[in-house]
Amino acid sequence: MKYFTRVRRVYRWRGEPVSFNRKLKTYDYSSLVIGVDGLPRTTLIITGQHILIEGEDEDSPYVAKVLRLFGDESGKQKKAAVQWFVRVSEVPPNKLKLLGREPHPQEIFYYQGRSCDDEVDVESILRPVQVRRARSGIPSTVSAHPVVILDWFLFKQVTSSTPRTPRHATPSIPSRSLPARQPGNVLEEARIRLHVSSVPESLPCREQEFQDIYSFVESKIIDGTGGCMYISGVPGTGKTATVHEVMRCLQHAADVDEIPPFTFIEINGMKMTDPHQAYVQILQKLTGHKATADHAASLLEKRFSNPAPRKESTVLLVDELDLLWTRKQNVMYNLFDWPTRRHARLVVLTIANTMDLPERIMINRVASRLGLTRMSFQPYSFKQLQQIIMSRLNKVKAFEEDALQLVSRKVAALSGDARRCLDICRRATEICEHSAAERSATGLVGMSHVMEALNEMFSSSYITAVKCASVHEQLFLRAVIAEFRRLGLEEATFQQVFVQHQALCRVEGLQPIGVSEGLAVCQRLGACRLLLLEPSRLGVLQRVRLNVSQDDVLYALKAD
Amino acid sequence: MSKRKTENLNTDLFLQIEEHYGYCSPNIFFFFRHLLELLKQTAIHGESNSVLIIGPRGAGKTTLLKCVLRHLLEEKEVQKNLLQVHLNGLLQTDDRIALKEITRQLNLENVVGDKVFGSFAENLAFLLEALKKGDRSSSRPVLFVLDEFDLFAHHKNQTLLYNLFDVSQSAQAPIAVVGVTCRLDVLELLEKRVKSRFSHRQIHLLSSLTFAQYLERVRAQLSLLDDFPETKFAQNWNTLCEDKSVKEVLQRHYNSSKDFRSVHMLLMSCLSRVSVAKPAIKPVDLLEASRLCLADAKANMLHGLSILELCLIIAMKHLNDIYEGEPFNLQMVHNEFKKFLQRKSNSMYNFDQPVVMKAFEHLQQLELIRPVDGSSAKTQREYQLMRLMLDHSQIMEALQKYPQCPTDVQQWAMSAFG
Repeated sequence: MKYFTRVRRVYRWRGEPVSFNRKLKTYDYSSLVIGVDGLPRTTLIITGQHILIEGEDEDSPYVAKVLRLFGDESGKQKKAAVQWFVRVSEVPPNKLKLLGREPHPQEIFYYQGRSCDDEVDVESILRPVQVRRARSGIPSTVSAHPVVILDWFLFKQVTSSTPRTPRHATPSIPSRSLPARQPGNVLEEARIRLHVSSVPESLPCREQEFQDIYSFVESKIIDGTGGCMYISGVPGTGKTATVHEVMRCLQHAADVDEIPPFTFIEINGMKMTDPHQAYVQILQKLTGHKATADHAASLLEKRFSNPAPRKESTVLLVDELDLLWTRKQNVMYNLFDWPTRRHARLVVLTIANTMDLPERIMINRVASRLGLTRMSFQPYSFKQLQQIIMSRLNKVKAFEEDALQLVSRKVAALSGDARRCLDICRRATEICEHSAAERSATGLVGMSHVMEALNEMFSSSYITAVKCASVHEQLFLRAVIAEFRRLGLEEATFQQVFVQHQALCRVEGLQPIGVSEGLAVCQRLGACRLLLLEPSRLGVLQRVRLNVSQDDVLYALKAD
Repeated sequence: MSKRKTENLNTDLFLQIEEHYGYCSPNIFFFFRHLLELLKQTAIHGESNSVLIIGPRGAGKTTLLKCVLRHLLEEKEVQKNLLQVHLNGLLQTDDRIALKEITRQLNLENVVGDKVFGSFAENLAFLLEALKKGDRSSSRPVLFVLDEFDLFAHHKNQTLLYNLFDVSQSAQAPIAVVGVTCRLDVLELLEKRVKSRFSHRQIHLLSSLTFAQYLERVRAQLSLLDDFPETKFAQNWNTLCEDKSVKEVLQRHYNSSKDFRSVHMLLMSCLSRVSVAKPAIKPVDLLEASRLCLADAKANMLHGLSILELCLIIAMKHLNDIYEGEPFNLQMVHNEFKKFLQRKSNSMYNFDQPVVMKAFEHLQQLELIRPVDGSSAKTQREYQLMRLMLDHSQIMEALQKYPQCPTDVQQWAMSAFG
């Protein structure tokens, strides 16, 4: 009714605020009351309701759905975050054609464009409106009240049937239809906990390292200065996990205002196609802008050189640092140079595998900017590995004592890699679960299961491969050894070996084979890498070397 | 579950494997079950895993994987949820191509129709972002099958392998990475970071078949089913493997290689002779097929040479005998040939130098001789050093069957002193 739009509307919050956003200093409310000057009747708007918002055209106001109601402390500013819809009249005709059917005049669609604000002043809200979902097809009746039919036909989808470059592609893997099953018994529960990805809240056996990194980063953040730290250690020693734990604790401390707020970003050298992409990724994670590598470098240079008020500290984690190496080493130079600027407030933590990486691959000025704050993560000892597994399993009793000890000792002796240890334990639980025949008395994972898992995952299968080779393949290996002994070298041509092979065939009483067949036998052995061969275009002249030790071959052949 | 029921399930599975894979031994059953359980964990429980299937060529690795997948996809839950990406090291020779292929097969949002938009860096970032956003309880699991896995380890920095294994060890979208390769030393190819993230699960398909089992397998493959209409014909057909000469042929093939791909080729060439006029396979067919399979390739080529070229080959053989495998050039060969002409020949006559040169070049084209080093520009053609790519046994064998070979040439070949 037109003349009511000239009347003044009064907006008031209803009830107490439900939450307070500390960062933006706003209060969230659950409902809003709209009253009209002089009239007792009031309208209530709550979150989740569909509303009409004043627009240019008085006859067809905009339709939106209230997502949030919030306002500032003084109560003067009242705002609402909304999800917009578009009417049929607002959709360009060529897009309407893509709908495939005749749209209802009061039909509305979800609008997912980014060209308009999602926040509006509540003063522009007119009144609530009823929105009905339409089934596929044309709805039959429409009431005279302000009802619009909502078609769950996403506006974005309407445009995607034209082959256009997807500018708003969102990366996602589709969701499954049924949720994943939960674990049933103790062994399954143990298996989930032993998976490498279920990282616990606090890592055992890394308390000292955690403390050192925490105090370093905390001091830099509190002082508002910058710095670099280099963390090294063989794979599987918990470097990235410890740094993540430190950052989680620091974030928590920043949330409760113990330390000033900061931003944490992370890049990984292996997840980039080119070292210069580091600039692109850092810029994107800091500001959300996309740019080319050179432009990103200059933007970051400006950002870290110029003083800016109210600037937060930034903590940058660079994983797999050695892959950021370039000839002129300018990516690494910049990464270590920016923290030295006065107004940058950048703390850089770098992770790599070798302790002497700075001395080995960096030129002097880059290494000196990296500094001497270094930390080395030692491989785990067997006691530490045992402790890690025990803490992962927590109260779940699934392993026998000596089985755990065996695994820890074996892995500690070889590499001290926690991932390896966890994978072997997981495989042992699988074997225990599936070996119904040998179920041990206690139902726990015992020594036999662990031994089987160790054999599977530590085995070198060359000897089995030689044992399972065919008769002529084994004879050929024998001929290779015989020829090496005759020549006193570790290398011979196929022709020479073939002569020995023919002689051995006669000795064994087998029918001698032709040269082509011999070449085929040789190629098969070369494909498995039991032998190392030259390219096969050399034919009978190709040189042959053994990839297995002679003793291993003789042992495997002797057991027949 | 009661013990009887598990036994029944096991026998059902056994029979199924036999039907799809061809045969089933306890080893194969064990591997089948291992792989099936692993993929089930990913598809149903959302647990990420990685495994490598290793075995010589023709051992049945891809067949095993296909068999497991077929069995796995029978379950509705898996069929609706599991996404599959199949890559091959021979087709995707570079990480850039591999990423485009993964994005296309997963049908992520930067794909329109068949075309993938974005540069290599953008594609990688997009895929990693998509996988990172997922979690084990609500995202569809993805199965990555990498054939010729060892070729992926030769890509620059092993970026793709690092990222796939890293996702399989993080709390992101559940993925299963199955690598298929024939190299036994594949783990040595992986960089230490990639190796640490790989779960070291390996399935080694090494067949320890005895000849009796091999024979049984061939017999099972060749036999006609019981419900064949002509029972007498079927009986005759099925007793083929009892024949002694057939057993000898199969023994010969078994000695050479145990894998079934080669025996399938043999049986196929034998079966392709069956026609309406000649409906049954006789042992002699198998012998003929075997002879074709095991024939020497280069010796066959020698049959097509002209007599002059053959004489040059024999001259080279004699030179190899005298100088113990040292390389020779055309002049030396020609001189040797002229010696034969002077002393022993009745039927051959002296050809001109250009004709002999042409014959020599023809031999080089056929790759029966090969220059010692690649630099062909420096020396004159006649004096370029060459090596013979044939073995003496091949030459002698070819000479036996050479059509209308003059006797003096044959005698020259067989004499020890040239």
